[in-house]
Amino acid sequence: MTRQVSRRELLAGTGIAALSAGCLGRTRNIAGRDRPSQLTLEINAPPADRDPNAIRIARHLAENLDAVGVDARISTLGQTDLRRKVLINHNFDVYVGQFREAEPFDPDAMYGFTHSRFVAEAGWQNPFGFTDINGVDELLASQRRAEGDDRREAVADLQRTLGELQPFTVVAFPDPLTAVREDRFENWTNRQPLSVGGLLGLERSDAAGGDADGNTTESGDETVDGGTNETAGSDGTADGGNETTDGNETEGGLIDDNPLTDGDEAGDAATLRLVTTDERITQNWNPIAAEYRRYGTFTSLLYDRLALVDDGEVIPWLAADWKRVGDAGIEISLREADWHDGEPVTTEDVAFTYEFLRDTSMGTTESPVPTPTFRGRVSAVESATAVDETTVRLTLDDVNGAVGVRALQVPILPKHVWEERTGMATIAGFEFDAETTEAVVTNNENPIGSGPVRFVEASPEESVAFERNPDHFLVRSADGNRSAGDTADPLAGIPERFRGKPAFDRLEIEVMGSDVAAVQAVGDGRADATVSNLGPDSVPRIGREADARLVTGQSGGFYHVGYNTRRAPLSNPRFRAVLASLIDKRTLVDAAFDGYAEPAASPLAATPEWVPSDLLWEDREADPVHPFVGESGSLDAETARDRLREAGYRFDEEGQLLAPGR
Amino acid sequence: MSPLLSVVSSLALWVGSALLVASVAIIGPRRLYALWDDLRDRLWEIRKPLAALVVVLIASAIGRGSLQTVSELFGLQLTWAIYALEGNFVAWVQATFGSPRLTMYFSSVYVYGYVFLLAFPFLAYLALPRTTTVKRLVVAYALNYAIGLVLYTVVFAYGPRNVMPDMVTSLLFTHNPEFMALTGEVNEPTNVFPSLHTSLSVTVGTFAVLTRREYPLWTPIAAWLATSVVIATMYLGIHWLTDVIAGTALALGAVSLSYRLVDGEGEVENDVGSEE
Repeated sequence: MTRQVSRRELLAGTGIAALSAGCLGRTRNIAGRDRPSQLTLEINAPPADRDPNAIRIARHLAENLDAVGVDARISTLGQTDLRRKVLINHNFDVYVGQFREAEPFDPDAMYGFTHSRFVAEAGWQNPFGFTDINGVDELLASQRRAEGDDRREAVADLQRTLGELQPFTVVAFPDPLTAVREDRFENWTNRQPLSVGGLLGLERSDAAGGDADGNTTESGDETVDGGTNETAGSDGTADGGNETTDGNETEGGLIDDNPLTDGDEAGDAATLRLVTTDERITQNWNPIAAEYRRYGTFTSLLYDRLALVDDGEVIPWLAADWKRVGDAGIEISLREADWHDGEPVTTEDVAFTYEFLRDTSMGTTESPVPTPTFRGRVSAVESATAVDETTVRLTLDDVNGAVGVRALQVPILPKHVWEERTGMATIAGFEFDAETTEAVVTNNENPIGSGPVRFVEASPEESVAFERNPDHFLVRSADGNRSAGDTADPLAGIPERFRGKPAFDRLEIEVMGSDVAAVQAVGDGRADATVSNLGPDSVPRIGREADARLVTGQSGGFYHVGYNTRRAPLSNPRFRAVLASLIDKRTLVDAAFDGYAEPAASPLAATPEWVPSDLLWEDREADPVHPFVGESGSLDAETARDRLREAGYRFDEEGQLLAPGR
Repeated sequence: MSPLLSVVSSLALWVGSALLVASVAIIGPRRLYALWDDLRDRLWEIRKPLAALVVVLIASAIGRGSLQTVSELFGLQLTWAIYALEGNFVAWVQATFGSPRLTMYFSSVYVYGYVFLLAFPFLAYLALPRTTTVKRLVVAYALNYAIGLVLYTVVFAYGPRNVMPDMVTSLLFTHNPEFMALTGEVNEPTNVFPSLHTSLSVTVGTFAVLTRREYPLWTPIAAWLATSVVIATMYLGIHWLTDVIAGTALALGAVSLSYRLVDGEGEVENDVGSEE
């Protein structure tokens, strides 16, 4: 923009002189050239109130970019606007964000994230516009097909190639810290405290079995516990293991009480109260909306998937069982389940879901409008057909078992609700965008799922309430089994910790102004746990609050810096490599995460068994691929500039990096 | 008790007591008695500006949420421009002057002092025999809010504590997270341009200077409090210097506009000073 204006000024200024001098041709040759100006990069990140870590990464990068002569501008945007700008409109230079997997994930997650076949689609699929047809695309395809060592090799090469080409720079895997109190609910695990499995695995505390007043007497004991656990937790995850075992023992002691507390004893004591700084769950419950879903934990409680993965364990969920049929088929038998509106969940619904996620317009538009999330997963499924009333057959696109299981992890949608949303999205009757269907933009008010919780009410930007679904198979089958003692266990494959769950009757999520306020709410006993990220200002507070305790776990949601490779000079992998070496991951982990994160070079670092040793961070001080230019926090700007010069970039006499022609 | 309720009740208690003391000391018993006798008539006299203020406040309370959405979607995203303009000024303020005592002082001024600063002049000017000044004050308040709301919608910017948390601590909310519940009820906590705290404080300060002959004691107090609130907005990491400058400009504009509007209704110009 600025370039255009300055050129116009130049033309206006020289126009008359040039005419009178009579050397129009030469003037045109000079004035017709774009004058180079300083490179401007806009870094998009959510504000500190919403995500205390991302903005710190953005500031770090911006400072170092300024030091090497790039005009870096930080643009703070609300989470929804940020996602819309980056994922939907692709109208960005650089963004700082988290990957959308809450837990460590299979390498195939990179398929949707980086495969070039998705460059034209909106959503989580390849937001970078990254294309490496002979390298990354090939490797992504072969890791889908290969098994065993062949797959391992392909995945290792994939990581090396992504490391070299840097469509995005992995910064660190944050510890999913959460402040919890245990006077009402316990069994907070140190693995995935806030995953679907973590929330369903919660147990009512002994004290909470009575009434709310019991809390005060109980809290004396909790305080001692809380203090020791806190210090143990901050030392590292190794101690966390003990914590989990403790929790399981308590669970064993509680099982007998469970049927009593499960029943009708409503009221305040059975409400699980969570606090978050992320208001999106109070506004939108669309499981496929890319702008509104963080990890999709709560929509996963609303919408069952065929399979649930909890702590690496694959649990048959809405599917009672499945088997491979022939080369490419999976035959799935469904559990008996109902939608929240009372309609039965049918195999038609499942077949519809896979068809629908591939094209939310169901063939009514010129070109398909695919789902903005889960795109990589559904791309592994060629077709889905209902065989009979309990069996669905998925035909897979020549993929291995692990990818097949990933394809089972998409929210199953009720056909009778979503088939009405296949039309073009309109505002007041006008079509706004031929590439968008109602399904993609709907807020999905009063969501009808089949999951263990039902939607109750919400007041946007303030709070949302869900309730236990008494008709869910976890509950219904658990009760039925006891009385009838039938032949086949309808809960086959479901671990004991989930049977008869959830332990809460009501789940309330309240929006807080900042992470500090969220921790305070837990400390004051107004909430049981924090859901959103905690920053370096709030973590130390947890230790000071007597009844609050810090639990953590393993996260798949790595922080990364994403580049829009559609735009020069971000289109140049050499340039991106220099940007990557401007990020001091080790220092960021200490400063922005207070040490509660692991710096990483590979997006798969949460599953070290997939990472080749040359990409493992381990005890290294610097990144194995693109080490930071400088020493612990202070940038060596001159060396960084030399690298840019070597890559073909130029500077003016003031040291400003000149923007190459776009 | 919810944090909002406890903050509000403590606010009512403290500001109520301060108003009582200040009324006796500054307004004086004579005028207070006169005010009590004449309260209904005076309120009736200022009904039009008062109604305007109420309308603006209600519109702000109802429309703020949707205007915020409009602002996020279509407003000018100027966070980067403000930062480019003034750089690390607010970080410098915190780094240079930051101390636990000052934090406590500015936090209480920002919440308690501010409410007192806005409430007291209304009482004091209502106690004057002529209602011109109180009308102007109410009109100026309404203008501040109305113009402020428009600017909030046109410009969308986050404050320093949201943009550079590594350098600017969110002092108010870190030390008193319960205040966040309150300020969140009155204002969008994220959208900061211009600073309405500044503009309303400067408005009161300007009126205090203009009416120094009526309430000579109030002028230095108001000036002190207003200056403190203005500094607090930056010291606490909530506003940029740019917001403060814009807030000051808005205040001066609103005061001068209020003089024009109220005088236009046929009041005599030198009412304010000549009463003694």
